[in-house]
Amino acid sequence: MNIRSQVSMVFHLDKCIGCHTCSIACKNVWTDRKGAEYMWWNNVETKPGTGYPTKWEDQDQYHGGWEKKGDRPINIRSTGKARVVPNIFHNPYMPSMDDYYEPWTYDYQNLFNAKEGADQPIAKPISMITGEDIKVEAGPNWDDDLGGSPIYAANDPNLEGLTEEQRLQLSSVERLVFFYLPRICNHCLNPCCVASCPSGALYKRGEDGIVLIDQKRCRAWRSCVAACPYKKTYFNWFTGKSEKCILCYPRLETGQAPACFHSCVGRIRYLGVLLYDADRIEEVANLPDDQLVEGQRSLILNPFDPEIIRKAQSAGIPDGVIESAQRSPVYKFVMEWKLALPPHIEYRTLPMLFYVPPMSPVMADVNGDLANHAMDGLFHSIDAARVPMQYLANLLGAGNEGAVRYALGKQLAVRWHRRAETVGDIDRATADRYLREANCTIEEADEIYRLTSLCTFEDRFVIPPMYREQAIEMIREPHEQKAETGFGFVGGPRRGL
Amino acid sequence: MRTKRFTPRAIFSLRKPKSPTPLCMVVLPGRVGLASSVAAATPVKFGLRLVRVCVCAVLWVATAASSLGQDTPDYFRQNCMSCHTIGGGRLTGPDLKDVTKRKDREWLTKFLLNPRGVIDSGDPYAKKLFEEARNVPMPTPPGITADRAAKLLDLIEAESKLETSQFKGAQVSTEPFTDQDRAKGRAIYLGTQRLGAGGTACISCHSMCDVPALGGGLLGPDLTNVYERLKGRAPLSAWLVAPGTETMQPIFKNHPLSSEEINSLVAYFESTTAQPPADSSGGQVTFLLSGLAGAVFGVFFLDSLWRRRFYSVRRTLVEANTGRGRS
Ligand code: SF4
Ligand code: SF4
Repeated sequence: MNIRSQVSMVFHLDKCIGCHTCSIACKNVWTDRKGAEYMWWNNVETKPGTGYPTKWEDQDQYHGGWEKKGDRPINIRSTGKARVVPNIFHNPYMPSMDDYYEPWTYDYQNLFNAKEGADQPIAKPISMITGEDIKVEAGPNWDDDLGGSPIYAANDPNLEGLTEEQRLQLSSVERLVFFYLPRICNHCLNPCCVASCPSGALYKRGEDGIVLIDQKRCRAWRSCVAACPYKKTYFNWFTGKSEKCILCYPRLETGQAPACFHSCVGRIRYLGVLLYDADRIEEVANLPDDQLVEGQRSLILNPFDPEIIRKAQSAGIPDGVIESAQRSPVYKFVMEWKLALPPHIEYRTLPMLFYVPPMSPVMADVNGDLANHAMDGLFHSIDAARVPMQYLANLLGAGNEGAVRYALGKQLAVRWHRRAETVGDIDRATADRYLREANCTIEEADEIYRLTSLCTFEDRFVIPPMYREQAIEMIREPHEQKAETGFGFVGGPRRGL
Repeated sequence: MRTKRFTPRAIFSLRKPKSPTPLCMVVLPGRVGLASSVAAATPVKFGLRLVRVCVCAVLWVATAASSLGQDTPDYFRQNCMSCHTIGGGRLTGPDLKDVTKRKDREWLTKFLLNPRGVIDSGDPYAKKLFEEARNVPMPTPPGITADRAAKLLDLIEAESKLETSQFKGAQVSTEPFTDQDRAKGRAIYLGTQRLGAGGTACISCHSMCDVPALGGGLLGPDLTNVYERLKGRAPLSAWLVAPGTETMQPIFKNHPLSSEEINSLVAYFESTTAQPPADSSGGQVTFLLSGLAGAVFGVFFLDSLWRRRFYSVRRTLVEANTGRGRS
């Protein structure tokens, strides 16, 4: 057993209001630079929709992630020794600028400098890359709130396996539905981006699992861009280096939550440390699709188990981190309550960002001109939800409904329970029946309720002590580092070796 | 840094050897860490580094110099024996036995340092030698210095006094060439048969009257009449034992031809003597045309290989679902 710790995340989709505050926070802190204009390390997508870059989930187009063929061990789908040379000048699986969008601004100067004329001057859109006039045809959230849904939502790759009727319902006016999917780098346990890099520029930090790109080592191969199935590494065309979400490690190291977490209006984001067994990653990544969700859970270790604690200590994990893992909200959502699920685990990168599947409104009964939304009293059964179970299963369960059904059932039971407690118009017996069916005790339901609805800043973000002074010891003398940090020339990343 | 092993790597390594902690492999320095660790080296460290660099440079120069100090007989064997013997008769160049008696040392030194220059200066004796060698000029001996020239002359003088000098030259067989020899020689010339010691095939640098397609290389002279130019079997064989020009010497110094290979090659060269030399202009045109054809083929091949390069997922999606092209 090789115990490591990983800073992991939970996004509670039921709470996301699609305000894009997180994206703007990230943009302002990290990517408001030349060459990075088009990057959204954090983006928020409307589902159903094709997302950013367009159709990123369609791996027949982008060939991202790992592929498992028969009994052979998994392999990177987009690259390999034999494919580097023929694709050296052009990688056919790379998203183009058009798949992201061409970033633009407006020619505001024209409002002040235009010659006097018969008409009011206008600020025309201009490309942020060429400076030329452009016709804006796409943006990072072009299909927001189902905009252009006959084109975008109708082509969502997650609709696979849905019946024609279900698809039609998704877009009929009385019944349409959408939810939001905020996305950042998942800081995967088996990151395809790291594995694909010919220069060895990407690495996963041993002590906290954050996946980073060394800007000095990156040689602009862009293998990671093609390899990451979530399309969460981006190529900076100005510096000639790839970039990605850094989980705001400079903030984490000083005890602050990442900018997108900190700013989240819906308070949907949770962060905490998980202990896992690095020796079994390969075995789990090779499991058949339907065992992946369970397999990944089996990698995550119980931080209360004295045996695990002892082994973690001997593996050099500081007590502070173990103690933090015991308070981790992520551990509760993923392991204790099994409410949070990994996105598209069939790409086999073992993402360490988990989503709590969203509840959706009940399917309406259209009766002449009247739409009846009430079913089964106050709450409806999860199978009558407007988002088909199969859709959520494609997104969060590698196509299998079991884990998604469990998570939704438990959320529903918590609602019955709290309704019975606080309003009292539901009798206790009904609430208890729902709890029993959802495999949930009253204590657990209350705890879920508190961490979902009444969570404070400290409940949501249990940031482990990062012990940078110990990590730096492996590279240089800590006192030297302390005395010399900040001296010398710090050059920004630029093209070349 | 304080490593005891005195290897260039150890000397030049800028940082401490990494600690063997396995985690170290995972924890690479971030941007800030790396930048400051290199930029903020203390002056003391820099001084140490400078000393190490200097020591290294001195060592390197010393070894380089010692490699020049190979002894004179070896030098003679490698550079002179392809054209000269001492007491073995004339090859391409004259027999050097008692050469110091035929001409004074001053003249000989001058000639050794720059044979071509002396010939071109119109010196009558040099001119005579040039004509006797059928207008094959003596190449400047590689790395010749006045000091080396003096040593060479000493050597020749000493060897001339001996009954049989070690530089009497190889015994060349006088058996007539067979068709098999010629065929093998041609194979060696073309490179279809590898040279035993791994030398380069002749065709890479030399052309020949009967070489097909693109012709031979253009770096060296045409070999069609080489047999005649170098005055027959014995001198040509001797030349091939240790080719003496500045271009050929480094190539064949460590990959000498075997006597059997030499025999075959000479047989082949003899058979082509009467032919007119290859017309290199035709080869050049073919070369140019095939290059152009290759380039055109390459462009189309890569174009089809990378035909998806202008493909855009988004635009294809939008166009397929609206039936409306992009303006
Ligand atoms: S989400 Fe993509 S970029 Fe992030 S660790 Fe996973 S494979 Fe790498
Ligand atoms: S800030 Fe929070 S609520 Fe708003 S879009 Fe981002 S994740 Fe959703």
